[in-house]
Formats: sequence, structure tokens, C-alpha cells
Amino acid sequence: MNDSLRHVMVVLLGCFTLLFVQLNRVQILEAESLKDNPANTRTVQREFNRPRGDIVTSDGVVVATSVETPGQRFGRQRTYPEGPLYAHTVGYLSFNLGADGAEKVFNTELTGSTAAQQLADFTSLLDPDPDGGSITLTLDDQLQKVARDALGERPGSVVAIDPRTGAVRALWSYPSFDPNLLATNDGAAANASYQELLGADGNPLRAKAYKDREFPGSTFKLITAAAALESGAATLDEPVFEATSSYTPPLTTNPITNFSGGPCGGNLTTILARSCNTPFAELAAETLGPLVMVNQAEAAGFNTEIPFDLPGAAVSNYPTDYGKRIQAPNAERPAGLYENTPKLAQTAIGQNDVQASPLMMALVAAGVANDGVIVKPHVLAEVRDATGKVVRSNEGEEWRMSMRTENARILQQAMIEAADRGNTATVDGLRIGVKTGTAQLGTDPPRSHAWIVGFGGRADGEPELVVSVLVEGQEGSVDQTGGAVAGPIARALFTEWFGRG
Amino acid sequence: MAPRRLELGLLILGTLITALAYGLLNIDDTVNARADVAVFFGVILLLLLGAHLVIRFVAPNADGLLLPLAALLNGLGYVVIARLDPGLADSQAAWTFIGIGAFSAVLLLLPDLRWVADYRYTLALLGVVMLLLPLIPGLGRTINGARIWLRAGPFSIQPGEFAKIVLAAFLAGYLTDKRELLTISNRRLGPLNVPDFKHFGPMLLALGVALMVMVLQRDLGSSLLFFTLFLVMFYVATGRAAYVAAGLVLFSVASFTSWQLFSHVQRRVDIWLNPFADPKDKGFQIVEAWFALADGGVTGTGLGAGLPTKVPYAETDMIFAAIGEELGLLGATAVLAAFMFLVASGFRVAASANVPFEKLLATGLTALLGFQAFIIIGGVLRVLPLTGVTLPYVSYGGSSLISNYVILALLVRISDSSARSEAAAAAATAQPVPV
Repeated sequence: MNDSLRHVMVVLLGCFTLLFVQLNRVQILEAESLKDNPANTRTVQREFNRPRGDIVTSDGVVVATSVETPGQRFGRQRTYPEGPLYAHTVGYLSFNLGADGAEKVFNTELTGSTAAQQLADFTSLLDPDPDGGSITLTLDDQLQKVARDALGERPGSVVAIDPRTGAVRALWSYPSFDPNLLATNDGAAANASYQELLGADGNPLRAKAYKDREFPGSTFKLITAAAALESGAATLDEPVFEATSSYTPPLTTNPITNFSGGPCGGNLTTILARSCNTPFAELAAETLGPLVMVNQAEAAGFNTEIPFDLPGAAVSNYPTDYGKRIQAPNAERPAGLYENTPKLAQTAIGQNDVQASPLMMALVAAGVANDGVIVKPHVLAEVRDATGKVVRSNEGEEWRMSMRTENARILQQAMIEAADRGNTATVDGLRIGVKTGTAQLGTDPPRSHAWIVGFGGRADGEPELVVSVLVEGQEGSVDQTGGAVAGPIARALFTEWFGRG
Repeated sequence: MAPRRLELGLLILGTLITALAYGLLNIDDTVNARADVAVFFGVILLLLLGAHLVIRFVAPNADGLLLPLAALLNGLGYVVIARLDPGLADSQAAWTFIGIGAFSAVLLLLPDLRWVADYRYTLALLGVVMLLLPLIPGLGRTINGARIWLRAGPFSIQPGEFAKIVLAAFLAGYLTDKRELLTISNRRLGPLNVPDFKHFGPMLLALGVALMVMVLQRDLGSSLLFFTLFLVMFYVATGRAAYVAAGLVLFSVASFTSWQLFSHVQRRVDIWLNPFADPKDKGFQIVEAWFALADGGVTGTGLGAGLPTKVPYAETDMIFAAIGEELGLLGATAVLAAFMFLVASGFRVAASANVPFEKLLATGLTALLGFQAFIIIGGVLRVLPLTGVTLPYVSYGGSSLISNYVILALLVRISDSSARSEAAAAAATAQPVPV
């Protein structure tokens, strides 16, 4: 029997040898391709189990943090103590849905994996699994709450930026969403919430403040006015535009009228302060021409990606195609005549195909407020390592020159006049300049976007805060002006910002 | 080295390895093992020393490798189970105590096994009844599609785990009795000379019932294990390869037929051949097991540092994947090596046994341990279709742990008995009794 016993043993040991060979195949030969298999979620899951730092506002409020969740699908879960308030800035980190916002773009900073964070602590250089880092935002929690409360439950956006540094101080869109719903370890619940949000009224997932574009209306006249100043077509006092109540561009019979319906005119600062339509339309169509207008819009950042540090900022649009030139410039019409000159007249007052995000209009105002220099907008203030030491801080850098300093100063003056005239955004003791806009969307029922962009500073100081407010699709037209609807929101922001000790 | 000193040394070494692994769980803060490592070490060592003392007293000449190898596998399995699901650790600890208790009890209560052969037909009946019990309505319960469990208060018992021992004992007794007859071919079946059919009768009946029960209970792994047990014992008893060939033909026909007849068998085969066709549903378990093994690489992620809980049934059927992930190719190879040593020791016991019944029983029991490990590890590694059997001594589960310790005790008993009769024979030749 021992011979056959030996045979059985050889067979069984052969079986085990086969297992050993196959084990080597799986664990070594095929390991890499198994790790790359699209069905393999282990790499993502490990990422989720790693320590991840907090996201904090400039005034120290924690807006994103990790809590340990022992025994759950992942060892940690992201929570957002302020709920919807920072959803469009911070975004979310969700196993099922991926990441968005600051959670997405500052992932390496939050996991403590940047070179600067690792160099700061030599021991962590050897650590494949660093202890996480944290980031501080430029946003101010008090100002953010004022923005939210002032807008209330009206669809719209509020952006506040320091024009000198590009630091975004408030960034709010309504409706917003609670990122905690998407970050939960309960994958099924996260998916269900996401589907619900996708179908919800007003698309709460969308950070409209920088991702959506709308008709800027009269706020765009800042660009047209800058074009007139930069091209030399106008100065502070000259020319005095004739007060007209209607302007019909060449090649069309559709007249452009003023908002009030009556005549409107004066020097550049006056027509800007009064937001006259007819002189701006005529100025662009007859005097400035497409080239000057396009150049000025693009100098302010239209048709270009905004170097914002949150993902997906919309490119604002100013039309560049006005057809063939059909008449050369002459003394009577220095702009020359183009097939689409009527369109040019409409773009000059922010209509036709002009589309701008609230962030873009904030940057237009920031260019004026900062004497012509637009600084890159950003929400990241500081990056810290696991011990809390600052390893990088963002002081802001110049993006572009939108106009010459003296012309910016003229526009500042015009905006201050506009603010005093409207008197809905002004605050006693502050130097405040604004430009309002009311973009009519339709007549049945009449609805309009109410805009205001502006700057504020102390009585004799430079502008320190720029705001851009859009209240969308308000029913009504004549009464729902930017000044009446959006002005008080700007005022609330200035009051909060400058009202501190 | 004397077997008992070897055994003691290896038990201490194995316990040290187990305790160190347990200590590693405490280092990583994702898993909180509750007990103090020193206490853990002490308790296990005391438990194993108890078993060692029992061997010293009632089976002093037995093989010294069997208990340390089983204890090492049991210890590693416990640590992995505690890491996977701390809630299961306490009951696995209790089953370990009961298992070692059963090991000692078998050694103390059965000083001699030869009488067992006389009760071979009783054993056959007992084995069949044990297998049939779960099919009785109200008594059996179905877990994960297999009706192989018995309700027993808060516990579930798998009588099949014990039936396999009983059936191995029956086969050993029956084949001891009939092997001479089975080697004489006095009938012709086509071109083959075969023994008289009447000698096969009872055995084919027992095997047929066992296989039928397996199909009815949908426990393909145990079915395969029983069939292998039958083939191995028949071959060792008769030494005739023709039986093995006939058995394999029979097996192929049976496999093909059940593949055609049963959708659950087709499903198993589909998953085996191409698990990546449906990695999120049908192939999920095996695909996740392979992802776990790939993550482990050569050295493993380290205990407590991997994601082994992603694999369904990681504490039972898939425990080898958890070991491969966290302990790497090295740890998984160590487990394979431990089984190879265990199998080699078992066959050495069988080879040195000089009572035919003991030899065949040792062969059967060793084959049960070795092939059960091969069937489940082969299932995880896709050498075979995956069928749910436990990895002996390693997987979570009371029935499996206790029955495998009973197998170990029987091997130890046979080993001691052969060594003793050898010594007696040697003494007899060395010192002739004066007339």
C-alpha cells in the first residue's frame, strides 16, 4: 500500500505546487494589470482612508473636516459643518461621485502631499502616507453669511473680491446644496441625493457665481466707457453727448431707446452715472467700431479663461464677428460701417450676445477700482502642513491691465456719481461707486436680471472691496432695476466689511 | 530530536509568531484588537501546553509536527479573523478552545482505534444519516444557498464536517476487509477484468448517497471532497490505477451532466472561466479576491493596513485572499507550506502504520485535510471553480475547526500506535526472549 500512498502524496504535493505557481501569477505577474483594472476601486478607497486636513475660512471657521468612521465602508468621512454656505467653493469629496470645488483642486494640499508640505517635516519625506495638510480660504465667514442673508431665497449670485489682491471674500449662489448629502459613506444615499439635486429647481449643484453667464445689461457700459477713454474718443468732460431719446443704428429700423423712455445725454461720467443707452450705442456704432470694442472687452478679460483657482469658471463672451466692412471710416462715421453694426450698437449696452459671469463683472469693476490692474481671483489663501505651519501663501498676482490708471480714475468718479444718484448701495462715510444693470429677459411675463457691480473704500482711501451681485429673473421690469433689487445687497456687504473696528 | 521536545519547541515558536501578528494589529490604529499581547500569548501557550501534556501522557511516541502545524494555522487564522471582524473573534476563540478540548478528549477516550473497524457498517449508516439530517424540514437550514446546516439553539452546526470523518472510518474498515477481494479480477467487463460487483455494492451505495446529498444540498465543494476521498482510499487500498481511471471517467460524466442540468453549476463554471466579464455582480467575489491578492504583492500591505473586508466572505471561503493581501506572497506561501508539511506528516503517519485499518484511516484523514485546502485555495486562485468549503484550521467556523482537530487527534493516535508497535518489534528482535 505504501507505493500507492506515495503516488497520492506526490499528486497532492503537485496540486499545492500548482497553487504556488498560480499564486505567483496573481500576486506578481498580473498584479499591475489587476490594479489598473477599471473595476478595481481599491486605489480610490485607500485615498479615502487617508488623513485629510481641514478647510478653514480666513476668520477661522472650519468649513470642511474629516471625522473618523470606524467600522464603516471607509475609515473617514468628510463633513461640512456650514452645510450649503460654502458648497460652491469647497465642493465635496464623495466616493461615488468624485470630488468638486476646493476638495478637488487642492487634493494634494489637503492630503499633505505637496513637496513644500513634505519638505517642511523631514520625517514625512519617508512616509508614503503623510498626515494631511490644511488650507485657509480667502473667504470671510461673516461676509459670506451677509451675502447669503441679503440675497435670501432669490435665485442669484454674490461675489466680493479685494481688488488689490484678487482675494475672494464672499462667493455665494442661491440655490445651494448641502455637500454632506453627497459625502456620506452610505453610497446609495449619496447617489440618491445627487440624482435629486440634479433634478432640483434652479440647479443647486451649479456654482452660478462663476460657472454661469448671463446678459450683463448696463453694467457692461463700464467696458464701452473704458473703450471711449482708452481710444481717446472721450475724456472726462468732452464730448458732451447730445440728449436723445432714441438712436436707430444704420442698416436697421429698430431703434434703441433709454430705460426711462425719455432723452438722456451729458459728458461721459454723466451718461455712465445715468446709464443712458442711446449715447453709448451710438458711440460704439458710429465712433469706436468693432476693433476698439473687442480690444477693450478682451483687455478686461472677456473671451479668455479666467485664471481662477476653482474649477470650471465660465469664459465670458463678447462677440467678435460683425461681418464685412462695407464703408471705410470717414469724418462723419469714424467707426466705418459693418454688415452687423446694429449688433455692435446693442453689445455696447450689454445686450445681444454679450454674456458675462458674476465673477467676470466683479473683475471688470476690480480693474476700475484697482486703477486698471486686474489681479487673478483666488480662494486659496494659505497652505499648511500637518503641524499647522504655513508652507505657502497666496498674495495674488497681476492678471491683466484693463485700462490706464487715469482712465480708471475717471471711471471711479463716474461710478461714485452713479452710486450717489441711485443711493441704494451707498453707506455714510464710505467712498462707494457702482454701476447697475437691468437686463430684460422677456415681456410675458416681464422678467429681468438685476445687476450691480461696485467698489467700496474708506472716505479718503483706495477701494478695498469690489462686489458683483446678480438677482436673476425678477418678475417685473421698470421697478425691478439693479439699483432697487441688487443695490441693497451691495450696501449690506459694504456695511458689514467696513463696519468692523 | 525526540518528537515531544520538537513539538514543545515548535508550539512555543508558533505561538510567538501568532502573538507577534496579533501585536501588529494593535500598532495600526484602524484595527483595535482588544486583548493585551502578553496575555494573548500566555493564554494560547497554556492552551497548547495542555494539549501537549495530553499527548505526552497518552500518545508519547506520536509525530511531533502535527499539532504545531495545526496550531500555527489556527493562530494565524484567528488573527486574520480578528482583523476582519472583531465581532467574530470571541466566538472563534471559543471554538478554538472547544477544538483543542475535542482533540484532547479523542486522545484520552480512544487509546486504541482498531475496534472501530468492526463497526464499519454502523459508521456508514451514521455518516449517511448525518448528511441527510439538514434535509429534514424544521431541523435544517439553508445558508448562502446550501442546505448543509443544522439548527442548534443560537448555533448552526454543519454535520457534513463530522460525516466526512465517519465516512473515512467506514471506508477504511470496509476496504481493509475487502481489499484482497477487490484486487482479484475475476469478471470481465468489455476489455477490462473487474472484481465481482458484489464487493463494490455497499461502497458504491454509500458514495452514491453521499454524492446525491451533496447535489440536493448544493454543496459542490463537499461533493468533490467526498469523491476525492473515495478515489484516494480505493487506490491506496487496492493499488490499481484502473480504478482511478474509471473513477475519473465517472467523475467527468457526472460533472458534465450536472453542468447541463443545473443552472447553479453553469453559473459557477462561467464565473470560474471568466469572472471579469461581470466584475460588479456575478464575478464580484473572485474579482475582489484577485484585486486583494494583487494589492498584497510580495510582502503584503501589512496586517491591518489592507482592505480585505472588500472581499465577500473573507473570514470563511475567502480567508486565503485576506492572508495574501495583508501578508503578501510570503505569508500566503507560508500557509501553503504549512499545509504541505501537514500533508507530508499525515502521509508519513499512514506510511509507518502497520495495521491496515489505521494505515487506510490515516490516508483518508490526510487526504481530507489536503484536498479540502486544495479545493478552497484552488477556488480562490481559479485553479478550480470556487466551491464553498472552509480552509482547515484557518477559516472561521466551529464545526470545521472541531472536526479538523478530531482528524488531527486521530492522526496523532495512529502515529503513536505505530511507533509503539515498531518499538516493541525492535525490542523483540534486539532481545530475543529466552526460552
